[in-house]
Amino acid sequence: MIATDYAALLELVWAAPLAALIVVIAWGLAVLGTARAGEARREGRTVSVVLHVGMATVGVALFIAAIVLGLIITSSGG
Amino acid sequence: MDSDIILVIVVATALVFDFTNGFHDTANAVATSISTRALAPKTAVTLSAILNFVGAFISIEVAATVAGGIVDSNLVTTTVIFAGLIGAITWNLVTWYFGLPSSSSHALIGGVVGSAFAASGTAAVYGSGLLDKVIVPALVAPIVAFLTAGACILITYRMVGRLRPGSVNRGYRLGQIASASLLSLSHGTNDAQKTMGIITLALIAHGTLEGPSPDPPFWVIVSAATAIALGTYTGGWRIIRTMGSRIYKMDPAQGFAAQGGGAAVLLTASHLGFPLSTTHSITGAVLGAGAAKSLSAVRWGLAGNIAVAWVLTLPAAAAVGAATYGVSRIFGESALGPLLISVSLLMLLVGIFGKRVRQGPPIAAPAPADS
Repeated sequence: MIATDYAALLELVWAAPLAALIVVIAWGLAVLGTARAGEARREGRTVSVVLHVGMATVGVALFIAAIVLGLIITSSGG
Repeated sequence: MDSDIILVIVVATALVFDFTNGFHDTANAVATSISTRALAPKTAVTLSAILNFVGAFISIEVAATVAGGIVDSNLVTTTVIFAGLIGAITWNLVTWYFGLPSSSSHALIGGVVGSAFAASGTAAVYGSGLLDKVIVPALVAPIVAFLTAGACILITYRMVGRLRPGSVNRGYRLGQIASASLLSLSHGTNDAQKTMGIITLALIAHGTLEGPSPDPPFWVIVSAATAIALGTYTGGWRIIRTMGSRIYKMDPAQGFAAQGGGAAVLLTASHLGFPLSTTHSITGAVLGAGAAKSLSAVRWGLAGNIAVAWVLTLPAAAAVGAATYGVSRIFGESALGPLLISVSLLMLLVGIFGKRVRQGPPIAAPAPADS
């Protein structure tokens, strides 16, 4: 016989939104950085281009890390 | 001889269930991607089918306890499994016909509960198991996913709301390809295992496999992977339309928030050992991403119909499972009962899919206005 794991349930309630927000913020940084870098490039602002490309790179790296973590969880069956 | 025939019928029925599971759940992974034009419809289902196939090989931690903790496993026979599968397949087809996303896992559990109840009475069913493995997760999944996706889309709009829609939409469409791929892989891993578990259970009950928890034979893994991939490729277009465009008109950022939020809930729950229904999580997330932007944009009547389908899943599949067991038992221990029921189901499936093929390809979901 099993019983509902209320500790896991409680952890899910805060951990799942936190994980999702990290993923969404990471990809948001990638989208925002890419778009702003494009605008800065058109206006010839080199420093701004570099900063926004850096922001986009961090976002993509975080997003890829989240996907890899998802793959690890999937392959380990939880 | 009869037990051999029944085993063959159970294996075939399990693969048919796997197929319906694939085409019923295609929407979970690809509906938002198709709706926002992140992927073309045919590309989306092809990618999802391939990843479902690959996913089935990632883990063979077979859940030989499908409905374990819910029904007394000592009372589960091949005929009980067969009847449970018929209950699940029937409910999957009914909800597909009405374009309503519902949990294939809960349908399977319902079918087995009904047939076990018909076979052995109340002693076969554990009420607390039903509460812990079906009812609590069915409440938790959509609520957590709804709130998570709602928070995700609010943050997203806050971050990129002032950018040009063109570049934002391109960015989120790209993100959706990654999230849809992860969901498809995860679906193949989790759901193909159910079929592997059922076939393995049938092989143990038949005496073909021995030991307390033997690994599934390679042919079981390949056939389960193939059935779920074929089902996914066939595409449950009615449900895809419901989730992708009928609940509300979705933009790429909402699609990404729904998929990302839903995937985060599913994978976190899986990591914590508290598995949730993919359908409940993704549907809750789709609703959350829509409601957070505009409550009035969501068709709450349709959401209500989906909720009713979720409530009915267990009792409806159980009723069909029980009835199927009853019909099978009219013919005693012989294979004639399961054989007649299987042939009837096969004719029904041929009728449905034959008509679908004659109707031609599905109409693509509408694209967002700002693309």
